Amino acid sequence: MASDGEVTEECDRLIPLVDIDPRDERFRITTRRASDDLHLSIGRLGLRVPPLVVPGAAGFIIVSGFRRIAACQGLGWDSIRARVLQKASPYECTLKAIAANSLERPLNLIETSRALRLLDQYAPGGQAPPEHAAALGLPTHAGLAARLKTLCGLPAEVQDAILEETVSFAMACEIGRMEEGLAVDFARLFRQLKTSLNKQREILTLVAEIARREGINPRQVLTEDRLSRLRDAQDLDRNQKTQRIRKLLRQRRFPALVAAEDNFQSLRQRLALGSNLQLVPPRDFEGTRFTLTLNFESVEEVSRLRVKLDELVDHPDFKTLLTGKGRGFGEAPVP
Amino acid sequence: MRVVALYIDAQVADWPETASICSRFDGPIKTVATADEVYADVAAAKDPVRRGKQVLYLTRNKGAYIRQCPGTSHYTCCGYKILHVGTFCTMDCTYCILQSYFHPPVLQYFLNHADLNAELEQLFATRTIHRMGTGEFTDSLIWEPWTGLSEALIRKFAGQDCCALELKTKTTFIDTLLDLPHRRRTILAWSLNTERVIGSEEQGTASLGARLNAAARCAAQGYPLAFHFDPVVINDGCEAEYRRTVERLFAVIAPRHIVWISLGALRFMPDLKAVVQSRFPQSKIVYGEFIAGLDGKMRYFKPLRMKIYRAIAQAIRAHAPDVCLYFCMEDDEVWQDALGFRPADRGGLTRMLDDAAVRQCGLGNGSRLG
Repeated sequence: MASDGEVTEECDRLIPLVDIDPRDERFRITTRRASDDLHLSIGRLGLRVPPLVVPGAAGFIIVSGFRRIAACQGLGWDSIRARVLQKASPYECTLKAIAANSLERPLNLIETSRALRLLDQYAPGGQAPPEHAAALGLPTHAGLAARLKTLCGLPAEVQDAILEETVSFAMACEIGRMEEGLAVDFARLFRQLKTSLNKQREILTLVAEIARREGINPRQVLTEDRLSRLRDAQDLDRNQKTQRIRKLLRQRRFPALVAAEDNFQSLRQRLALGSNLQLVPPRDFEGTRFTLTLNFESVEEVSRLRVKLDELVDHPDFKTLLTGKGRGFGEAPVP
Repeated sequence: MRVVALYIDAQVADWPETASICSRFDGPIKTVATADEVYADVAAAKDPVRRGKQVLYLTRNKGAYIRQCPGTSHYTCCGYKILHVGTFCTMDCTYCILQSYFHPPVLQYFLNHADLNAELEQLFATRTIHRMGTGEFTDSLIWEPWTGLSEALIRKFAGQDCCALELKTKTTFIDTLLDLPHRRRTILAWSLNTERVIGSEEQGTASLGARLNAAARCAAQGYPLAFHFDPVVINDGCEAEYRRTVERLFAVIAPRHIVWISLGALRFMPDLKAVVQSRFPQSKIVYGEFIAGLDGKMRYFKPLRMKIYRAIAQAIRAHAPDVCLYFCMEDDEVWQDALGFRPADRGGLTRMLDDAAVRQCGLGNGSRLG
């Protein structure tokens, strides 16, 4: 990477704000739009760090300092002092734009994505040398960089979800492989539920597999009436909504298994085991061995549990559970 | 799927059977010092599984030819022995476990048959009842166009009285076998499924009708037969479709020709799911109601397995009340539910199948050896 002064020259100039086109965002790295926080400091202390611009076809193009320039415009200034790059190639401008952000503060995922994309976009030969990315504090692992680059091309709502951290990098990569409408639907759902990555993955997999199995578009699964009603329910908080949506999707994906779980649950409730006795079925009802756990801290409690166990042994619902009929297993065998 | 390249292990390059196979092959042939070059060829392909089916590697079996079927814990295994003559398959079933079993998957055929014969002689000398087959790591009959393996095995087994050989296939490559002096020691077996499953999930295999016609021709030549409803695939309407398959079976095959019929619902190691999703994006087979079984394999939720088993078993029993019907890798609860007994009630599954082999294949001249 060229050092300052070796390739690019800068000079400080007073520039009328009307000569700067704020809509030209080709070198924009920052994802922050609001500049209210800068109004106060610039208004009181002046523009301490002049923005960096480069001459364009008509006026100047911003290289760094988008928010500062917006703040000055908001303050009603006519002109500002700016550093003007002379004879700088787009790639040199890119390096300056990224450095002005990445060397000053940690970039978020979208900013990192923009930076990596910008490097490739303007690098001579179409691909920036890894050492340039490294010098700018950007990731250099090819696989990681390739995945990061896709983020800033995602629909705006997905990018917003990433910036809010309601969608993680891993999930963003999965969503990013989907068609745009579906990606936005998932981003909206996850922004609404604000749930963990594991639960997001579960929901995503269930939706995808239901759609594949039923031969429908995944968007139809996400917009199904019962699911929509759960999303809109006023009396449920986010956790309750997440839990019920997962249950609803599991019910549709694994109807027999969920019915058996519900059946077991209701039979177990009828047993009225209390808090010191726990009855756990075989995982997914595949095996035949149940687990009964007793919690106690005194002989008296054990004595009470013994009575409870005696009652349990004679309880018809307990026998039903163990013979499998309560799990929907009970049809006559072949003679 | 057509084999497009032949690799020969330098150690078997001069063997007569190598020359014989080469003479029946019209693609490029290359001799290699080690398997690495073959693996590299397969691994470099965009779809290594597909490439593995198109590249045939002639080599030696460096391990044992006769192996115990691995089975899995928690489920009842039949005590079968595997005759390890080769690996992989030229057909392309979506659910094939071999896609994720070998790394990388390569079509291999083993040529050190002197070792094979020596192991068989040793086993025959024990004079105990055994059932074994070549269809575990490959299809038994895909090798017919290139080799005389089945003929040699059929003749070999015909010369003894304690072991039954099962050749399990989805092909119809039986023409070279019909007139052989088999002495009923070889069972010709077909994997059966519904027309829908064969059409959508078993690419490159023979149709149901063709399989049954081939079986009927073998029965006419006195061969004992076996049928395997494996994998049973559960989907909407499957019960009626499996009943129709059973009807078609018994429309052309009399029960007296059948040594055994097995039922086994689709099961697979979790790794296979991603392979199927990637190689067969149109297939819905991995989107059934699967749970992780006690052995770590994905299996249909047990009540669903029981229900389809009951339906198929009832259909089979209606035509063949006395045929030996068994489950591949299921537990006592399933046996009891679908067949009304547990293997232990009848001396264990191994005993049940051995007895069927003794009866139908004439092992031990009708009496148990050992």
